[in-house]
Amino acid sequence: MILEVNKLKKVYGDKTVVNIDHIQIQQGETIGLVGNNGAGKTTFFRMLLDLIRPSEGEVLSKGKNVADGDEWKNYTASFLDEGFLIDYLTPEEYFTFIGSLNNLSVADVGSYLTQYAEFFNGEILNSWKYIRDFSKGNQNKVGIAAALMQKPELLILDEPFANLDPTTQIRLKKILKEYPGNMTTFISSHDLNHVTDVCSRIILVEKGKVIKDFKTDENTLKELENYFST
Amino acid sequence: MLSTFLSHQRKSFWRSRNRGGSIATQVLMGFFMLYFLAVAVGVGLGMTVFLPKIFKGVDIITSFNGIILYYFALDFVMRLQLQELPTLSIIPYLHLKVPKSKIIGFLNIKALFSAFNLWPILLFFPFIFMEIADEYGAFAVLMYIISILSITLFNNYLILYIKRKSITNVYYTLVGFVIIAIFAAFEYFKLISLISTSDFVFRGIGEKPYLGFGFTIAALAIFKLNSTFLYNNLYVEELGAKQEKKVSTDYAFLNRFGKVGELAALELKLILRHKRSRSSIILGFFFLLYGFMFYREKLINSDSFGTMMFAGIFMTGVSIIIYGQFMFAWQSAHFDGLLSNKINFKNFIKAKFLLFTIASTIISLLSTFYGFLSWKLVLMHFVCYLYNIGFGTVIVLYLATYNYKRIDITKAASFNYQGTGATQWLLMFPYALTPILIYLPFSLLHIPYWGLFTVGIFGIVMLLMRGFWVNLITAKFEKQRYKIAEGFRE
Repeated sequence: MILEVNKLKKVYGDKTVVNIDHIQIQQGETIGLVGNNGAGKTTFFRMLLDLIRPSEGEVLSKGKNVADGDEWKNYTASFLDEGFLIDYLTPEEYFTFIGSLNNLSVADVGSYLTQYAEFFNGEILNSWKYIRDFSKGNQNKVGIAAALMQKPELLILDEPFANLDPTTQIRLKKILKEYPGNMTTFISSHDLNHVTDVCSRIILVEKGKVIKDFKTDENTLKELENYFST
Repeated sequence: MLSTFLSHQRKSFWRSRNRGGSIATQVLMGFFMLYFLAVAVGVGLGMTVFLPKIFKGVDIITSFNGIILYYFALDFVMRLQLQELPTLSIIPYLHLKVPKSKIIGFLNIKALFSAFNLWPILLFFPFIFMEIADEYGAFAVLMYIISILSITLFNNYLILYIKRKSITNVYYTLVGFVIIAIFAAFEYFKLISLISTSDFVFRGIGEKPYLGFGFTIAALAIFKLNSTFLYNNLYVEELGAKQEKKVSTDYAFLNRFGKVGELAALELKLILRHKRSRSSIILGFFFLLYGFMFYREKLINSDSFGTMMFAGIFMTGVSIIIYGQFMFAWQSAHFDGLLSNKINFKNFIKAKFLLFTIASTIISLLSTFYGFLSWKLVLMHFVCYLYNIGFGTVIVLYLATYNYKRIDITKAASFNYQGTGATQWLLMFPYALTPILIYLPFSLLHIPYWGLFTVGIFGIVMLLMRGFWVNLITAKFEKQRYKIAEGFRE
């Protein structure tokens, strides 16, 4: 079990934003987190990454509380929002920096990036711009590619499809589905089509609570559409 | 129409979101601004007294005429770095039914609202009324005034033109300073004299006042050039400073420090690639002149290091103080990224120590030019330097863990008090008082050099204890990180 969440709660003032009793995630699962705005998805992800201190409960990564140590960072990569990008660097510098944190040489990073030439669609590398000068969609691409580059066992992405053009959305789906090895992926999305397509398991949240947690099958999309239209 | 534009501008200023939070901060800043204005007025009024003292044995009008061109050369270089293009504010009007010429008129007028345009008036006008009037009469006074206003406008619009053509860069500013310094050196060794050129020009105006219109013509020409350029290029993407090609850089000298060096390089890029951080560093170089206000012959001769130490600490540690007061907040935009990545917090803190040490070393080396005044000052600066890198860094970084205020470093630097809070003002007390208190007993016992020695030893001991301090601050940082991250997300 790579991730376990126990009685996780986050309270701001008198408002409970996240209140999750128990979730277990096995190695190799691809999980989609679905819910309307304000359901607590981002807050939940931030607690998984130890960016917010939970009011109660714990997040265990490979059995260890993420708040107590750094070990989880060795196999976890994430991209939640532009706040994860160091926007005054060129994409090349950013990749090199992230690479160096994971002991990848400049050459390693270079050869990795050539694999993603198609994903970047020629817009990211050698563009002579800082990350802050890119459009949001292209910033997303940089963040996602940097996360994947770390060859993580656990990948966490918050709304990875947002702001991406249709071609790139399809390419990203392909990458996530065909990623070699036993990567556990945890993504959130507002796009029900994509999320049911990519994920083997869906967790539906509303007002901080898990409403449904089930394996995807051919009826899942219908089910979700029904849920959200009522 | 123009008045509507201006009233919108006024509103945008007063309603701006990143205007300093607390009233106290604003009042204090108001005082600072008043102070600087008062200094300008004081220097202007006092010029009749200062000039004979600085230029001994030179005719007062000659020295006055002499400094005018120097001033404007300096003014030019300063504007190159600090004056901003009034551009973005017109975007909402471009698609409306407003004639181009009106928009350009507005841009031109808005450009006049700059402190740089006020300074020459405050500095030079009093002297003109007091001395030039006696010497050359009323017409000459008028032409002096017209000349000075013309040069001011000339500089004003030339800078805007240069910036619009975007042939500007931080390095040009530095080159500009170097050129001025070279001229000053030539002056000193009596090779070429800008002073006598300046005197020659303005003496000419004194004697044949209508010559002053030469400056006016030049100013009008540059104004016209600027307006024509604007008229032909009134597109938002062409008006702002043009985007230069951004290249990846690598700071080889930091590589030897391993992961710590990488983090330091990252921060160095942050400093160099943002206006606000860049100008805080440049400000540091200006503060190198601070000593001239403090170091009086009397103080030096009587070994009154206690009084002078403040200036010494401030100058050698200026980068630590000015940059450090907003520590961690510089990185507020990507703080989440730093936390969630595989960055060892200890290395993160060590990188800050490393940067501070490098910066303080450079500026302390530069400050050795005070050795021309007295070797004692070099000694004192060395002691202050040891204190700064040994203990000053610790204070700044420790207090930084209590700073939760986000700052947006992409915004302009001058008059931007976003992120300023009580911590920033409180910082100075422990920072400056610690060494002075250590020194004080020795001063009372009349063994000042032992006092300096002790402060120096204190610095060295703290430096040797750096490992301990790093651990302490890292532990503190780990405890505070959620709070800091939360504050930075707002």
